Amino acid sequence: MSLLQKLKNRVRSKSIHVCFVDVGSCNGCDIEVLACLAPRYDIEQYGIYVHNNPREADILLVMGAVTPQWVDKLVAIWEKIPEPKAAIAIGNCPISGCVYNRRDSYIDPPAAKHIPIAAQVPGCPPRPTEILAAILSLAPTIFENYEEKKR
Amino acid sequence: MSESIIWYLREFLRTEWIRKFLLAKTDPLVTPPYFKDYPTLTGKECTACYQCMMICPAPGAIAVLRHDDGWRPEIYPGHCIRCGLCVEACPEDVLQSGRVLEAQHRDRTGFRATFHLSIDREICMRCGNCCISCPVGREGEPDGAVLKIEKGGVQILNSDLCTGCKTCEVNCPNRGIRVARVVEGVQEAAA
Repeated sequence: MSLLQKLKNRVRSKSIHVCFVDVGSCNGCDIEVLACLAPRYDIEQYGIYVHNNPREADILLVMGAVTPQWVDKLVAIWEKIPEPKAAIAIGNCPISGCVYNRRDSYIDPPAAKHIPIAAQVPGCPPRPTEILAAILSLAPTIFENYEEKKR
Repeated sequence: MSESIIWYLREFLRTEWIRKFLLAKTDPLVTPPYFKDYPTLTGKECTACYQCMMICPAPGAIAVLRHDDGWRPEIYPGHCIRCGLCVEACPEDVLQSGRVLEAQHRDRTGFRATFHLSIDREICMRCGNCCISCPVGREGEPDGAVLKIEKGGVQILNSDLCTGCKTCEVNCPNRGIRVARVVEGVQEAAA
């Protein structure tokens, strides 16, 4: 492993930029993600920064059972994120549709149908610690030695 | 002591303050014991009364399945919303989650449920999925079946056998059968 790669690994492990997108959730998971930003859970002490701009994000947090209006927009947001990137499904909705997954409901879950989902955080809503643990455990597998893996 | 240059430097540079500022961390993030997590099995025997499936508000979150050594409820994390209603509804205390069982035993609470099966004759296409999927009664067993295709339509034979588990509703291809459940919370008087 080159020195440059080591440096990149070190920097990337403390600089994970997160963008979150709500594709039709009940806002419960959004509030849990917001709780991650608040002083009690303080996501920035782990080097995770929330920008809400896909162009500078590394990780996309998807919340909500994908509504038809979001299907093409979710893919567009995913394609805007530069490599290396990963998407995490937050909550039950992007995994299964949760309580909205009933007949005649206007949703199209799972989110994995539309974009590649790297990790899932089940729960309705999940605890902020679970969201934090998911981001922190996923980040090294995606970002470590990215240039070497790409080759 | 207070005149020494080292003491002065330490006070002036505020090493403690600088360390706290640079290495700030919140308290360790531990899950509190009262957190109502996904229900887990207590090891008590499940009698397959389907009360948990009856009360579950999330589609596809719980299923009572038969294994080699008996029946067991299974929780599906991508579907379960951790409301703890199955823990409360179970009469045998098969499931536990957080402090739900503890509080229930202390307060002597429970659920009383009544069910009403309704069949829309216009929609029903007499496929028999409801009769086949119904886990309660079987044709030939002493109690008999809850539902049966007879006289060109689904007939409700023993509505009092119904446990309200919604299996027929889930398996009906066109919503011909509906299970209406009326559940009320009950509390026994303290002994």
